[in-house]
Amino acid sequence: MIDWLDDFLVRSILAGLMMVSIAAPMGCLMVWQRLAFLSDTLGHAAVLGVGIGLLLEVNPMFGVLAVVILIVFSLSQVANFNNALSETTLAIISHTGLAGGLILLGALPSNSVSLEAILFGDLLATTRADLLMILLTTLILLILLLRHWRPFVALSVSREIAQAEGISVRKEQFLMYMMIALLVAVLMKVMGVLLIAAMLVIPTTSARLLSHNPEKMVFFSAVFGILSLAGGITSSFQFDWQTGPSIVLSATAFLIITLLVTRQISLWTRR
Amino acid sequence: MAPELLLRASDISYSSGGKNILDKVSFELYRSQITTIIGPNGAGKSTLTSIVNGLIENHSGTIERLPSLKIGYLPQKVYVNTLMPLSVQRLMQLTQRAKEAEVDEALSQTNVAYLKHRQVHSLSEGELKRVLLARTTLGDPDLIVLDEPTAGVDVTGEIKMYELIGEFRNRLQCAVLLVSHDLHLVMSKTDQVLCLNQHLCCSGLPESVSKHPEYLALFGDQAADAIAVYAHRHDHVHDVSGQQESCQHD
Repeated sequence: MIDWLDDFLVRSILAGLMMVSIAAPMGCLMVWQRLAFLSDTLGHAAVLGVGIGLLLEVNPMFGVLAVVILIVFSLSQVANFNNALSETTLAIISHTGLAGGLILLGALPSNSVSLEAILFGDLLATTRADLLMILLTTLILLILLLRHWRPFVALSVSREIAQAEGISVRKEQFLMYMMIALLVAVLMKVMGVLLIAAMLVIPTTSARLLSHNPEKMVFFSAVFGILSLAGGITSSFQFDWQTGPSIVLSATAFLIITLLVTRQISLWTRR
Repeated sequence: MAPELLLRASDISYSSGGKNILDKVSFELYRSQITTIIGPNGAGKSTLTSIVNGLIENHSGTIERLPSLKIGYLPQKVYVNTLMPLSVQRLMQLTQRAKEAEVDEALSQTNVAYLKHRQVHSLSEGELKRVLLARTTLGDPDLIVLDEPTAGVDVTGEIKMYELIGEFRNRLQCAVLLVSHDLHLVMSKTDQVLCLNQHLCCSGLPESVSKHPEYLALFGDQAADAIAVYAHRHDHVHDVSGQQESCQHD
């Protein structure tokens, strides 16, 4: 195997970069379609998946994948999908999954699982196997995004126009939800279930302030994602903070800076 | 030669939440013909266009379409999430690629070429309608579906807009399905009127519909107004935006 992959820092940075590059376009789509809460729900319910995975003694990521796909599939079978995505429904799924997962984890021998890693992620503990899994997921998602970008953007603007003009909204939407499930299952490893939504929403919000087109917003989201990753890993080393929360805080710091700068610029130009 | 049949709707019924919205509606759309759906609020006009567009699938009755039927659609309301940056130019290319020159040409038809680089959020309702109307003509559509295209446009702009729709029909050789509740203005340009109030009250040429007892019962007062609007004469010309283009006084 390649030597430089022996360095845990190299592995974590690679994993982080791949996650950021896929979180940018997915995060934008989710923000445009007001789906950030869905990622939160899937993240919380994923704890149940971890429990099931550990119980069956398989890679927890498979347990997570099974649970989140099952949830998305069940939601999509409800006659009115958009009503099924109401806050109440999602909150019920979210907390039931979380509670069930915590009970399962509690029943397992205490040394087999780090609750902290599940809740907050552990980027610095990325193994070669994790890296391969993340690489595969990122590639699959990127290829699907490239092929379906125009319909995905179209249905973010108007489902009515998209459907009338030849896009199968139901199929495209189902595909998108499945992609979100896959993303959550993998992001969980790095960010932990509590912080997934933050990584999808905060860099995208900064990017919105600088963008005039959907595609530019994706580009700037990736830029802010990379900056947050760098800031997070650095401060994590510097101050011995946990990596996941450090990344989120540095994303928020960049958001505040961007807000202040863009406001100042718009004040100057108005003068 | 008879015009090409693009779409045939047979016995379309639809109910939602225990309420009947459409009852056995049948009609046909032909190439190069303008069909106008008129009817009071809640008559099922928008529902019918959603069924034509394929947005509502759980209706009874059948819709037969030309297999390759290409539709351009202007919905009644478009609400773009403000978290989504979107320029007019990008909106024009929402469902299909288009060359920049084609986008420019489409926008200039409705006098909104100057809006090309503006953000969709910053447009007024009337401006957005004209952009969306221009958008429907891109990519050589067979059928243009317009759900209340003149809402938010003033009356004189409205007349100009109906003239434009007539021009689109001539140039693109497409069918037009138009939803409107201001019957007086649409009547003269229309080949076929569908007077809808959950069921199809009457349909056919504007002149015959306007004499139909069910039509008169539905629109009694307004029907009389329709003639009054035509009798009103203009001493100046407006463009679509409602600005005066020329003014001649005696």
